[in-house]
Amino acid sequence: MNKNWRLLDTGSLPAAHNMALDKVILNARSSNLVPNTVRYLQFSPHCVLVGYHQSVQLEVEEKYCREHGIEINRRITGGGNLYWDESQLGWELYAPKNTPGIPRKLDDMYRLMCESVVAGLDRLGVKAKFRPTNDIEVGGRKISGTGGTEIGDTFLYQGTLLTDFDVDTMISALKLPIKKLEDKQVDSFKQRVICLKEVLGYLPPMEEIKAALAAGISEVLGITLEPGGLTEVEQIAFEQELPRFQSEDWIKGLRVVPQANDLRVAEHKTRGGLIRVSLRLDRNRQCIKSAFITGDFFAYPERSIMDLEAILKNSSSRPADILNTVRQFFIDHEVNIPGVEADDFYHALYLAIDKAGDNNDYACL
Amino acid sequence: MPAKKYAIPEGLLYDSNDFWIKVNGEEAVIGMTDFGQSNTGDILYLELSPGGETFQQGERFGSIESGKWVGNLTAPLSGVVLDTNREVEGNPRKVNADAYGEGWMFRIKLSNPEELRSLMASQEYAQWVDEQIKCEMEKG
Repeated sequence: MNKNWRLLDTGSLPAAHNMALDKVILNARSSNLVPNTVRYLQFSPHCVLVGYHQSVQLEVEEKYCREHGIEINRRITGGGNLYWDESQLGWELYAPKNTPGIPRKLDDMYRLMCESVVAGLDRLGVKAKFRPTNDIEVGGRKISGTGGTEIGDTFLYQGTLLTDFDVDTMISALKLPIKKLEDKQVDSFKQRVICLKEVLGYLPPMEEIKAALAAGISEVLGITLEPGGLTEVEQIAFEQELPRFQSEDWIKGLRVVPQANDLRVAEHKTRGGLIRVSLRLDRNRQCIKSAFITGDFFAYPERSIMDLEAILKNSSSRPADILNTVRQFFIDHEVNIPGVEADDFYHALYLAIDKAGDNNDYACL
Repeated sequence: MPAKKYAIPEGLLYDSNDFWIKVNGEEAVIGMTDFGQSNTGDILYLELSPGGETFQQGERFGSIESGKWVGNLTAPLSGVVLDTNREVEGNPRKVNADAYGEGWMFRIKLSNPEELRSLMASQEYAQWVDEQIKCEMEKG
């Protein structure tokens, strides 16, 4: 195998340009026109991106975005809605699925790719780790989320890296499970994510961050990265693809399948304190899209609640499945919350699911 | 045989992208196999080509998402879509729960019945599944 990969730095680009490039580079790699590639991903102006199958109307506060010059676009990869400000750095890998050393099984592949970024962060002095299914965390707080797609036998796997992050704008621009909550809960929500600047106490120069990531990826994948540019074939394809990625048809989605992103909030009183649950739910799909849990109880280990939220993300909303998920979580993570049992969390989640939501669903579009 | 843990009903045809095909004269019903859904995991989204669309064998006729990964659905046969299972598009976990029943995806009219020869019978598909499992185990 050729262990030399191209390192592509396309600089800061508008959302449509970056999304078009994702498609163009993946196509070119799939057709064997370019080598395996690592690309840095940066945006200017800031933007909101929805996952390939998501609905912009259900996931994005469009009015706020328009008023604040935030572009909206759709990724070709899976996953949820994201806010990218101009300080963030994304990373992408393009290679055939049968590349030696890269597992075919998705869960194993996620781990390897994320561990290559973890190795890069380690060079910056950040002790991060992979959190299944496909996030990177520091002390239980998310610093990188990832997603992927494929064309033929070639994959694109990409992730974010929060460097110096504007959480308030993210909360205003996206439909998250926190809109109806008080300031205290918003502060707690901010604790779910962390950025490089907060971990290190300063923000290293972007070139230093890029070099560290490249070194980590090279080390873990056993490859050599050689700086390169877009080929002529890619440039031509980019010019052809760009109008499509700028079009309303692409951004709004010509065929967004029926779905929901309904906000449900509930409280449940226990001996150990109050549990507050806030969910984004797709009831027809029987799916908890995201969960946010707070309260005045004391959890040991402290990060348990954030880990529980991560496990609940995109999990089944069927009562029997929730009960199993929560009980198993308490066993696996040796969770101890004085006066609060696993079944109390199940009850709080069940109450939220059973409550009327804000009707943020396909039927309202 | 590791494939024994997966349901592979007789009387259906199969392809190497883990689709089952039930042929009825000039028509066929298509869905994902038990092995396919198990490898994919909990399916969050399915986008299926609507009725009236035509496609060739090997062309993309839909997309699927699980674990933040978007994959293409590749047509096992050439044809025109007569009917798409909108229920499963709205609740894709039906593919996980009932791959050969409520999880069906398309009913198509075949445009090239000769292509049926390229598909596998249940026993052949079971052997193919075994090989895939062994391959994965060898990779570690």
